Amino acid sequence: MTSIQMPQLGETIVEGTILKWLKNEGDQVKADEPLFEISTDKVDTEVPSPVAGTVTKLLVAEGTTVPVGTAVMEIDDGSGTAGNGSSAPAATETPTAAPAPTPAQPPAQAPAQAPARQAIATPAPAMPDRGPRSNILSPIVRKLARESGIDLATVAGTGEGGRITKADVLAATSGATAQPPTSAATVTPLPSVGPAAAAVMVAPPSMPAGQGEESEPMSHIRKAIATHMLASTQQTARAWTMVEVNVDRLVRLREDTKEKFQANYGVKLTYLPMVARATIDALQQFPLVNSRIDGENIVTPRFVNMGIAVSYDAGLIVPVVKGADGMNTIGIARAIADLAARARSHQLQPDEVQGATFTITNPGPYGSLLSVPIINQPNAGILSLDAIQKRPVVVEDDAIAVRSMVYISMSWDHRLIDGELATRFLARVKHNLETWDFAEDLGL
Amino acid sequence: MTERRPAWLLTPPGLIDYDVANEAMHALARRRLADEIPDTVIALQHPPVFTAGRRATEDELLWDEATVTARGGAVRRIDRGGSFTFHGPGQLVVYPILGLGATPDAAAHLRRLEEVAIRTCADLGATVDRRADVQTGVWAGDEKVCAIGVRLLRTRVTLHGMALNCDTDLSWFDGIVACGLPDHGVTSLTRLLGRDVPVDEVAPLAIRHAAEVFGLGFADAPEEIERPFRAAAVA
Amino acid sequence: MASTTVESGAAGHGAEPRGKRSEDGQATYLIAIAEALWEEMERDERVIMLGEDIGVYGGAFKVTEGFLERFGPDRVMDTPIAEETIVGFSVGAAMEGWRPVAEFQYSDFMTSGFDEITTVLSRYHYRSGVQTPVTLRAPSGGGVRASNFHSVNPEPWFAYAGGIKIMCPAFPSDAKGLLKSAIRDDNPTLFLEHKALYRRIKEHVSEDPEALIPISSAAVKRPGDDVTIVTYGAMVHKALEAADTLAGRGVSVEVVDLRTVYPIDEETVIRSIEKTSRALVLYESFHFLGIGAEVASVIAEKAFEHLDAPVMRLAPPNHPVPFSPPLEDAFLPQVADIEAAVDRLSAW
Repeated sequence: MTSIQMPQLGETIVEGTILKWLKNEGDQVKADEPLFEISTDKVDTEVPSPVAGTVTKLLVAEGTTVPVGTAVMEIDDGSGTAGNGSSAPAATETPTAAPAPTPAQPPAQAPAQAPARQAIATPAPAMPDRGPRSNILSPIVRKLARESGIDLATVAGTGEGGRITKADVLAATSGATAQPPTSAATVTPLPSVGPAAAAVMVAPPSMPAGQGEESEPMSHIRKAIATHMLASTQQTARAWTMVEVNVDRLVRLREDTKEKFQANYGVKLTYLPMVARATIDALQQFPLVNSRIDGENIVTPRFVNMGIAVSYDAGLIVPVVKGADGMNTIGIARAIADLAARARSHQLQPDEVQGATFTITNPGPYGSLLSVPIINQPNAGILSLDAIQKRPVVVEDDAIAVRSMVYISMSWDHRLIDGELATRFLARVKHNLETWDFAEDLGL
Repeated sequence: MTERRPAWLLTPPGLIDYDVANEAMHALARRRLADEIPDTVIALQHPPVFTAGRRATEDELLWDEATVTARGGAVRRIDRGGSFTFHGPGQLVVYPILGLGATPDAAAHLRRLEEVAIRTCADLGATVDRRADVQTGVWAGDEKVCAIGVRLLRTRVTLHGMALNCDTDLSWFDGIVACGLPDHGVTSLTRLLGRDVPVDEVAPLAIRHAAEVFGLGFADAPEEIERPFRAAAVA
Repeated sequence: MASTTVESGAAGHGAEPRGKRSEDGQATYLIAIAEALWEEMERDERVIMLGEDIGVYGGAFKVTEGFLERFGPDRVMDTPIAEETIVGFSVGAAMEGWRPVAEFQYSDFMTSGFDEITTVLSRYHYRSGVQTPVTLRAPSGGGVRASNFHSVNPEPWFAYAGGIKIMCPAFPSDAKGLLKSAIRDDNPTLFLEHKALYRRIKEHVSEDPEALIPISSAAVKRPGDDVTIVTYGAMVHKALEAADTLAGRGVSVEVVDLRTVYPIDEETVIRSIEKTSRALVLYESFHFLGIGAEVASVIAEKAFEHLDAPVMRLAPPNHPVPFSPPLEDAFLPQVADIEAAVDRLSAW
C-alpha cells in the first residue's frame, strides 16, 4: 500500500488545497498518471502517481487545505500488507451460530508475523514521511543504525529534503536529542521526556479496515499519547500498591461547605484538591517519590509540580500545577479548575504541560473503583483517586458501619522506589486524609 | 567550469494569439516532461487578453464581455494560480518551460522569475523590488510592473511565467482587479522612466538575465518548434 | 667529444642541482627531480639517461642541465626526434642490464612511441621473463596555455597497458622520493612531472640520497572530517586551496594525494572515506576513463557501506585542451568549481 502525501513544492510552501480528485476510489492508475489537482499559495499543479495500482482511499475532501506531508490518498500497488486477517471475515462468514470471532484472528496472526518480518534484513524499514527524501537511507546510515540498534523512525533528518544523514544518526546514538519534528500543534500534550525515553512507537502490525469498518488517521495527539504510554510501559519497572481510605469526614465536610466554597472562591470544591494537598505533604516526607532518573543519577526537586491528568475531547493531557507545595487547598483547587478548563478549550501553553514531578489521575468521577495507571514519565509514581463509595466497614469495637471509602493507589517505578517506601508513602496520604481538618485549610 | 544547461530560445515576432501560444506551450511542456527536448524559454507579446487564474472570481472582471470584445480583447480562464491579469502589445511575456528536477522548489522558481525582472529593470535604470508582504511579482512601490504566475506539470515542469509592462497601454488594467489586489495599481517601465521603453529594447536584456539566473545556455529553437508560434502571429 | 659550454638556461644556476636550491634550502619541484636523477646516476653506474635535447641543451625545461658534463655522453644521450626509438632502445638496453631513464620532451609525444610502450615495454617481462627496469619521464598536464599538443595527461592510456607503474607527484619531496623509487624499481615505470608545478612549488626536500617514497602509497595532504577529495598532480594544490576556503565556511575537507595513479593505494583512500563518508574524485585526466573514474569505482565497490552520498567526480571533458586562456580556464576544474562540487556533495 502506498500512501500519497500532499507534496512539498518548496521549503516555504507549507500547505496545499486539493482542488479536484482526478481519480476516484477503485480507479486504476499508471505510474506518473495525475492523481489530483492542488493549489498552493505559490503554484498550482497536478500531482502524479509514484506507482501503478488501484486507488483504494481518498482521505481528504475536495477543497480541503492540508499541511505538506499529510496523507491524502492510498493506492494499492500490490506491495502487500498483513491485512489477511481483517479481510477474511467477509469471505468466511457462515450462517452457523456463534462462529469463531474473526476479529480475534489478526492479533493472533500478528505476533507470528513479527518475527518473520525481523528476519528479513534487506527491505528498508517503513519510515514516517518527513520530507521528500526522508526515505533515502544511505549505506552508512543503515550500517550505523544496524550497529547501534537505533530505530531510524525516531531520527530527525537534517539533510536535503528531510534525508537522515550520517551526522544525524551519530548525534542520535550519542544521546543528543534528535526528536522527530512534530507538526504545527500549539501544545505538546505530554510532558517532554528525556532523550532516553524518546522512543518510539514501534509500528504495530498493519490491519487495514475491512468490510463494515472505518479507518481514519491517528491525530497528532493520539500518536503522542501512544508513544508516551508505550515508552513508559517499556522503560519503567512498574509496580502498584493500593490503600483504602476512610474519607467519611471529607465527604461530610464537602457536603457542608461546597456551596460556600463556590460562592467564596468561584470554583467547585471536589475531592481532588484535598487529595492533592495530602499527597504533597507525603511527597515532602518521602522525597524519593518526587524524584526522577537522570542517566545513573537520581534528581530530587525541592519543589512539587503536581501533574493533574485531564480527560478532554482530543484524549488525555496532563497540565501541571507548578509550585504546588507552596499552595493551600484553595490555591490548588483554583489552579486545577483553571488548568482543566483551559485544557478542555485547547488553551494551554507548552510550559503548562511540562515539568511535573508527580502526577495524580482521578477516574473516580467516571465510576472506576480501582485503576492501575501508567506512570507519567519521568515521574517516579502516579497516584490514582478512584470512586468514593459507601461501603460497610469494620469500625471501632469490631462493629460494622457504613462509611464513605475510597481506594487510592499508586503505580510506581521500582527502579527508583522500593515496596516499603511506596507503601509508607501511601500510608501517609491515607493518614493525612483521615486525620486532617481540611475546614481550616479551606478557610471555612 | 560554470555549468549552463543547454536550452532553446524562441522569440517569435509580432503578437502571438493567446490560445495557440498556450496550447503550444503546454505541448512543449509535455515534451520537456518526457525529456524529449531541453529547457525552453519563449519570449513574445500577445494581442490584448485578460487571463483568469485559479483564484480569480467573476467580480474581478470589471468590464463586461461586450466591452472587452469591442476594445479588441478576449477573456480566458487558464490553469495557472493567481487571479486576473492582462497581456497585450507593449508587454514582454516570458514563458520558461524548465524541468525542476526530482525535488522541485516552486518557490525558488518564482524568486528566480522575479530576479530576472528585477535585473532587467535595473539595467534600464528603474529601481524595482519584490514585495513578499503583498504578492509574488515585481513592484515599484505599491504598483506592480511585472506580474508572475506559474503552474507546474506533474510537479516537475514549469508553465506560464512573467509579464513585464514595457510600454503597455495601462488603461486595459482598468478592466480587472489586477492580480486580485484592489488597493494596488500597475505601472510600466515607460511610466517609471518617463520615456517610451519598447519591448524590443527590453527583450534582449531579459533574455540575457534569464540565461544567467536559470543557468541556461541558449540556442535558437529548431524551426519546427517555433513554427506554431510564428503561424499564430496576428499582427 | 669536445667539451661543450653549458649556457645557463631558465633554471639559471650551476651544475649540481643541489646547488640550485633557494637560500633557505628549499627545492622547487624541478630541482627536486633533478636531484633525484643526479643522485641515482651517482649511486648506480647502470643508470643511463636519454632523450631529446637532454644533453647539450640541458633539457627543454632545463631539468638535466649539467648532467652531460658530470656523467659524460655515454650515460647522457641526446636522441633524434624518434620516440619509438627512444623506447625501443631503452627496452634493448634494459635487457642488457642497463637501467635507462628515458625522457619525452612533452608527454604528448609519448604516443609517437605508443606501440613500443604498450606492446613491448609493458609486456616484455610477461613474454620473456626478462626484467626491463625502464623509467620513462615526461612533463605532462595543462593550465600553462600550451594548447592541445603540449598539455596532455597521458596516464590513462598507459595505465590501461597494465604493466607499467605510473606516478604523478604533486610536491617536490614526493617527486624526488618517487623518482628514486621508480629508477630503483625493476619494473617499467612512468614518472609524469606536471609542468605547471616545475617552478611554482618549492619546499624543504630531504638531502638523504636514501630517502625514498614507496610507489603506490597515497598521502593525506590535509586532514578533514566532512568530505574527502581524492586527487593527484596539479589538482592537489587547487584542492588544498578550495579546502582552505571551505574551512572558513565550516566544511572540513580531507585531501588525499594519490601520488601513484597506477596501481593506486586503495587502503588510504578507503580509510579516508570511512572517516568522512563523502567522496569527490578530482582529476585532470579526462572525465571519461580518466584515472578518477577508476578511483570512484573502487570507492563505490569497496567503501559502499561507508558512503553517505554518491561518489562524485570532477574532471575536464574528453576534449582537446583549448589554447585560448578563458577557454582553457573553463575547461580545467578551477578552485571555485571544486568548492561548488564539495557544496553539492555536502548538501546531498
